[in-house]
Amino acid sequence: MTRSKAKSKKPGGVDFKKIRRKIGKKLPPPKNATNTEIKSKAIVLPEQSVAADKAGLAVNKKGLTLKELLQQTSHHNAKVRRDALVGIKDLFNKFPTEMKLHKYAAIEKLRERIGDDDKVVRRTLYDLFKSVILPGCKEDNQELIISLLMAYIFNAMTHLAFDIRIMAFDFLDLVLQFYPPSFSSYAEKIFQNYEDILRKNQYFSQDKGKLKDVLAGLIRCLSLLPWNKGETNLVDKDDNGRILLHAFDDDMPISSNGFSHIIKKLRDLAPVLINSFLEFTPSITAMASIEGKSFGCMLSILHGIDLIIRSFVHGADKESESPSLEGEPNGAMLDITISSLLLKKVFPLFPLSPAHHLSEKDYNRLVDLNMAVAKIFLELNEWIYLPPDLLEKYLEFMEHALFGKVCNDAQSDNAVSEKRLIQLLLFIPKFVSRGASHWTTRLLQAFTYILRESKPGSLLKLACLSAIEDMLTPIQAMLSLEKSNPENLELQEYLMAWIAELPLLLIQLGDKHPACSEVALRLQLHIGQRALSNSSLACMYDDIQDKLKIFYCTCQGGGKKCSGPFVRLPRESQELSLCCLYYFSHLDLPILKSIACCCLSPELDRSVLFRIIEIIHSAYREGHIKIADHLSIFITFVLRFEVSPEGSSGLKSVILCQTFKSMTTLLCSYMAQIGGNYLVLNIIEKVIIDHILLKPPLDNSCSLLRMIVTVDSKPTRLSEQSIIVLGSYLSKYLIDAAQCLPEDYDEQCKSSTQLTSVHYYLLPCFFLFDRCHKLLNLVLKNMGSAIAESSLWPMSDDYTQHPSNWLVRVNAVASVLLLIDKDPKMQQILSSFKEGVDSIIQNVSSLQSSEKISMTIEEKHKIKCTHDRLKMLLR
Amino acid sequence: MEVVVASSSVDAGIGCWDLHTGAEQLRHKSCWSPPHGLVSVGGRFLASSHLSPQSSGGCIFFWSWSKPQIGVRSFPAETIKPLSANHPGTYIAGGGVSGDIYLWEVETGRLLKKWHAHYRAVTCLVFSEDDSLLISGSEDGSVRVWSLFMIFDDLRSQEASQLYEHSFTGHALRVTDVVIGYGGSNAIIVSASEDRTCKVWSLSTGALLRNIVFPAIIDAIVLDPAEHVFYAGSRDGKIFIAALHTESLVTSSYGMHIIGSFSNHSKSVTCLAYGISGNLLISGSEDGMVRVWDARTHNIVRMFKYAKGPVSNICVVRPEIDSTNRISQSSSRKQGSDLPPPLEKYSNSVEDLDAKMPILLRGDKRCAEVSYLSSHVISSHINELQRHGSAAASELEMGKLKDDYQKSMQMVNQWKKMYENLHQFCVKELLDGGQARV
Repeated sequence: MTRSKAKSKKPGGVDFKKIRRKIGKKLPPPKNATNTEIKSKAIVLPEQSVAADKAGLAVNKKGLTLKELLQQTSHHNAKVRRDALVGIKDLFNKFPTEMKLHKYAAIEKLRERIGDDDKVVRRTLYDLFKSVILPGCKEDNQELIISLLMAYIFNAMTHLAFDIRIMAFDFLDLVLQFYPPSFSSYAEKIFQNYEDILRKNQYFSQDKGKLKDVLAGLIRCLSLLPWNKGETNLVDKDDNGRILLHAFDDDMPISSNGFSHIIKKLRDLAPVLINSFLEFTPSITAMASIEGKSFGCMLSILHGIDLIIRSFVHGADKESESPSLEGEPNGAMLDITISSLLLKKVFPLFPLSPAHHLSEKDYNRLVDLNMAVAKIFLELNEWIYLPPDLLEKYLEFMEHALFGKVCNDAQSDNAVSEKRLIQLLLFIPKFVSRGASHWTTRLLQAFTYILRESKPGSLLKLACLSAIEDMLTPIQAMLSLEKSNPENLELQEYLMAWIAELPLLLIQLGDKHPACSEVALRLQLHIGQRALSNSSLACMYDDIQDKLKIFYCTCQGGGKKCSGPFVRLPRESQELSLCCLYYFSHLDLPILKSIACCCLSPELDRSVLFRIIEIIHSAYREGHIKIADHLSIFITFVLRFEVSPEGSSGLKSVILCQTFKSMTTLLCSYMAQIGGNYLVLNIIEKVIIDHILLKPPLDNSCSLLRMIVTVDSKPTRLSEQSIIVLGSYLSKYLIDAAQCLPEDYDEQCKSSTQLTSVHYYLLPCFFLFDRCHKLLNLVLKNMGSAIAESSLWPMSDDYTQHPSNWLVRVNAVASVLLLIDKDPKMQQILSSFKEGVDSIIQNVSSLQSSEKISMTIEEKHKIKCTHDRLKMLLR
Repeated sequence: MEVVVASSSVDAGIGCWDLHTGAEQLRHKSCWSPPHGLVSVGGRFLASSHLSPQSSGGCIFFWSWSKPQIGVRSFPAETIKPLSANHPGTYIAGGGVSGDIYLWEVETGRLLKKWHAHYRAVTCLVFSEDDSLLISGSEDGSVRVWSLFMIFDDLRSQEASQLYEHSFTGHALRVTDVVIGYGGSNAIIVSASEDRTCKVWSLSTGALLRNIVFPAIIDAIVLDPAEHVFYAGSRDGKIFIAALHTESLVTSSYGMHIIGSFSNHSKSVTCLAYGISGNLLISGSEDGMVRVWDARTHNIVRMFKYAKGPVSNICVVRPEIDSTNRISQSSSRKQGSDLPPPLEKYSNSVEDLDAKMPILLRGDKRCAEVSYLSSHVISSHINELQRHGSAAASELEMGKLKDDYQKSMQMVNQWKKMYENLHQFCVKELLDGGQARV
């Protein structure tokens, strides 16, 4: 175009303008030149991945990115696919963030491989999910991931290739392990698929291992059903930590509609399981030894049937609660087919007995199978009527098992047989609750045997205890209905035998098995709470206390270090055991003494000590303790408490002192609550005076005095004799108390701790003096004579072997008098006993001038000072 | 008038005080009531179980508001400790020491029902807000919820495995107090026990909602009317405040869910009550004082000196003194006029009732239920109504009506006045507003 344009212009020009061009010179660009320059921001060229620059991108060992790897997973070559999966695993391991970002995309691509034709690829994929992807997605939206996978898993389950199907179940298992709640939304479909696969038993005949795996998966699914995992759920529901009272509960159980669908599926599943079980049985009876795998299969099948039956029972229970739920006959009618199948085919086979003599291992395996069948039978027995002759057979087996006759003796106490027995034990309470018969007696006899024989602290013991707990209510209900029935009487006897076992068990357990102790104590408490309704039971319960003594305090001789296992149990168990005490209809002195002994053990926590006192007092208020015993225990507490811990050579521990003071306060307030102070005083007066004569340590006697003061009244009610005893004792007590003061004690510093503690010691005396002036007079006289004594026979007394000793005493008397004088009320009373004070001063001055005692100048000075201080008092 | 009624387990009579003026009313004589043993029956009269050291068995006494002497004495089959009456005062429930619960009809004194409720003595009884449920606490540590419908339905109770609706067995020791909140079937039940805990239960699900461990034994609890908190009186003299529907600080010095405490610096708190009007908390103590607290500020508003002995019961009642007086004037019964007959010892009057009933009811399964409607009570009421038709009664009725008429007239006048005032005020406002805008 441009050219033709130029041509057309030429004719227009007149002349050609000659342009001379020089060789070598560059021509100017023509005017009509086309611009051939290409401009672009970037040039994208398809290139080879090997050559590409991947700096900054996440790559695996082989330098491939996630995108490439995912693309390769759908490669037609199985080897490439497998390598890609391995690569992804490697990549994700190296770069966890990469997985976080792209996990949904990755899963979406990877799930296609669940139905992969190649076995190795599937294995690798399984491995990838198991070890990397699912653990990495724990915190994310698990529902979404599951829903992404499930469709493909179900698809693979219906694949033509048998291997793929089996593998799909493995995947399902994996997913359910990863997020169990997802089960409920797919339950119906899952069971359908299990049923389909189990029907194809011709495939399994060669490979028992695979069947075993599938069954294991099925059992896992069945035990995920909400009613089958009930026990574990209860533990989590301890909602003490909840902040709101009425919080929203998000763990919704499967709706009743979904439930009935699942039951329907299970109904289809059960016959399939039974059939496959029946296929095994001829081999068992015929063969000399049981093959490990087929034994495993049989056991799993039985377990599965058991779980299904349990679901039916649960469904039946639910129906009885709300009968008008659905018109469709779900309950009894539903399972006639299954139960009749079981009755016709499975139950008559019991007990599976070998045709030949078996090795020990095989024999035990057979026992396991028998146990499983028995369990199913008993489960069903709870719910529908089964022929009595069959029942007889099973109960006999159960009895044998409990007596330990079924298993070989050599292995009778291993963990496996224990586990079996625990399962059987569950049925005893259920059986008992149906009413008494001659079989209950036989079973209970076996049960009692087990209870006695099982090792303390073992799981079996624990199961026994909880079985007793379960039986408590039905047995009591039966007993309250008709007492005269001889079978009921037998029940009662068994119950009493169990109760008698409890204290022995507690002592055997010691502090080694706190969990078991707690269960035993809880059982004891429950028995105690219910004991009243039955007189012989109450009697039995009361009898326990004699044996329980050792539980609190191991030696009765009054020696040191004799605390029983109680002291070392955890706090909850201690609380339970204390609560048990409350329910004894009468607490005798021996057990009270052993409790007191345990209270005084230094190992015991202070709060427990107060709790014990509280409970003892509660029991007293209910009339379970005689008042004399109650008071004597209080006095024992006060008398035997040791303020200075052992090995501290008489030094007082401040904490113990505090505890002791608050304990005394508590005891005194309880004594005041008893009411009838005069009566209380009457009871305790003689005991306390007797003990005071024995000169207990300062703190203990102070508390004893506080007790007297609490129940005494303004004109004292103490007898003449006690006042005389007190008079002589108090003078020594006061002197001892005053010696707690430092020698250079300054009257001005009133806040010193020593002063307050001395005041604490003096206070009960002040009360006594206030109520009985005569007592003060007596005390003054005694103090005077004490000084006189020391001046007369300085060498005869132990006290006055050294002059400084009696000097201390004189000093103490002086401080006591000064302290008494400081109290305004006491001052008044003191002023009416001038002559007593006078005589003391007289004695001091005579001591001063005494020549029998040789004193240093310093001592003389001191006594002079004391004399002066006392003189001040008189003015 | 709001009256605080207090009684003791040692004889100090029943003290009554006007809550708002503090004036002491009549002191009723000779009452030894154990905890939870004093109850006002529909505000008409007082009933108390009686447990004196002199008499061996326990009895139940009634006092009318106007007389200090015991009006009616009843002697039940065994010692009754806790008593409870439903809100209109038609039934009295009592808990025996053997664990039985008795239910009497007040009007006739008939023992309608007796059933074995607990393994040990019943310690407290309380009716729910709508009177359909009875909640009992026992010495054996269990708290049970009884539906009266179930109790009186012989057929259903025979079929059912247990009579109770719920049995809460969380406490290790004797239950000391039980209260139930508002909210019908969704209410909460709070129980206190000697094991130092209070537990909150859900009535609808039967689940334990909360377990609160206190530093001392709790003897009395009372709910705040809004159920934000509950107050718990402890044996060490403190009144604790525990959280229900309120945020509780975990770092409380006493423990989980305990918000705080206030103390009267005295001996143990034995009973608590909440005023009907006004935010007042009333506590009775071992030292014989009844203290009235302002629940918001925790200050003592008023103190009533009751006696030297411990206070065992406190009720806040609005006594129906006026109406009972009127009835006592009009009715032909001369003495003990306003009080019902004593409670029966045994339930034996069912037979003679049945004789009166038509036989065709026998075949019907609901027959048993019918017999508990105590038809002769109704017929006696009819009789009384007919007697009311006599001249004296009609005169009385006339007087009453005249009274009412006058009252209504006064009301009308008052309303008129108020309307006038309001009208004037509005007009003024409008006019003022208009002027301002102009």
